[in-house]
Amino acid sequence: MKSILTRLAPALACLGLLVAWQLGSLALANDSFPTAWESLRAIPAILTDRESLLNIADSLRRMAIGLVLAVAVSIPLGLLMGRSRAVAAFFNPLLMIIYPVPKAALMPIIMLWLGVGDLSKTLVIFLGVSLPVIYHSFEGAKAVEEKMLWSGAAMGLTAAQRLVRIVFPAALPEILTGCRTGLVLALITMVTSEMIARQSGAGNILFNALDMGQYDTVFAMIIIVGAMGICFDAVFEVARARLVRWSEPQFDIPLSFS
Amino acid sequence: MSMRGTSELMLGLLPIVLVLLLWQALISFGYAPPTLLPPPSQVFARMGEQLLDTSFQQDIVATLFRLFAGFAIAVVLGVAIGIAAAVSQPVNAAVRPLVRVLAPLPKVALYPAFLLLLGFGHESKITLVTADALFPILLSTYYGASIVEQKLIWSALAAGTPPRDVLWKVVLPAAMPSILTGCRIGLVISCIVVFLAEMITSTDGLGHVLVAAARQFQAVDMFVPLITISLLGLILNGLLGAVRSYLLRGFPEV
Repeated sequence: MKSILTRLAPALACLGLLVAWQLGSLALANDSFPTAWESLRAIPAILTDRESLLNIADSLRRMAIGLVLAVAVSIPLGLLMGRSRAVAAFFNPLLMIIYPVPKAALMPIIMLWLGVGDLSKTLVIFLGVSLPVIYHSFEGAKAVEEKMLWSGAAMGLTAAQRLVRIVFPAALPEILTGCRTGLVLALITMVTSEMIARQSGAGNILFNALDMGQYDTVFAMIIIVGAMGICFDAVFEVARARLVRWSEPQFDIPLSFS
Repeated sequence: MSMRGTSELMLGLLPIVLVLLLWQALISFGYAPPTLLPPPSQVFARMGEQLLDTSFQQDIVATLFRLFAGFAIAVVLGVAIGIAAAVSQPVNAAVRPLVRVLAPLPKVALYPAFLLLLGFGHESKITLVTADALFPILLSTYYGASIVEQKLIWSALAAGTPPRDVLWKVVLPAAMPSILTGCRIGLVISCIVVFLAEMITSTDGLGHVLVAAARQFQAVDMFVPLITISLLGLILNGLLGAVRSYLLRGFPEV
């Protein structure tokens, strides 16, 4: 009984938020704040419209490409930084300077160079995702027990083999935490970059509707984007739990960056 | 050690110098026209000029005000909710599922809702900054407070601390390192989010400077606010580091 309740808790929380929204908008009775029910009713219209679906699919494609590329580059870099002081000293100051710069804010400049197309947006998503993945891989690799590496070396593994066969699996829980943050970030960067380069995508639908005063569409898109975030996170969490079943139960709520 | 520190610092400056050299080389060898990529010297000269300009200073002040207001609210709420969730079972049961749903939600998507509800002024931007900075602070506070050793609380009680003071005198200080880590992440996020919010809709602030420059294709002026926010981030991070070493004096290792 109790475990069913715990499982249903997130769904109950969603329901509670929707009810709070409904009551809040009824109490405020503001034209630009539709009720939860009105917004939910606007969702099917968006999801059956061919053009909106293509837009959302475009967004998701860019997000997937940016995310995969970023993870593929960042994990090896982070692991190397974690195992070698020199590599870490080389990259750390540069990364510290880049960190507080909003990656989506590079959009206008990148647009000047590469145009408004897919390339700029994918690049921005790539930049946004890489930093947390590098950081977590770095932390994970730093914490690997020296004894395991010594044993590996004694059994004749080369440095590269040690990195792949000892450091990578040992740092996997931490790396996956980074990937989870990266996933949420990819979604955030995707929406933001489309808000700034208004050409296609989910962010574009959202802000076009805002400009045209179609408030139920605005809130329906907010629900869709929010639901994407929650679903991706839940799916990733299931995959993560399977991959690192051997490690201790981790702190199971993700940190979200922007 | 200090020898090693110096050489590591030199090694770390290397990629920054390389980036600047590459930037200059792209222009010197004619790969990039200066209208698209202005030379670094021009960007930094413009930056010096702008920093003395009153209207640019006002933009910085506007950005900093929103950043600090949003961050401060996030710290207060995050620490309060985090500690409450760690020490009280009913609060925990209510907060956990809510956080689980709200933390992965892309907060930027809520910005249109904040705009419609709170208007185009400071309020909507401050709310967005708070919404984004809140969760890392809340989560690390909760984590820090839930791993406080029970022995510490028992010792304090045995030494005569009234139970209602235990929260202030034991739990909060013991969770402090973790709280400060969360604050650090929250601060970086605040920098990023305030800038984005100003880019999307604003009439002042650093983000607006960037958008205004982009509309007029003034590449030089686009680099200046970006470098400024990066510097602000570094300075604020340094300040937080100082606060951290002050608050954590007496802790075995920081």
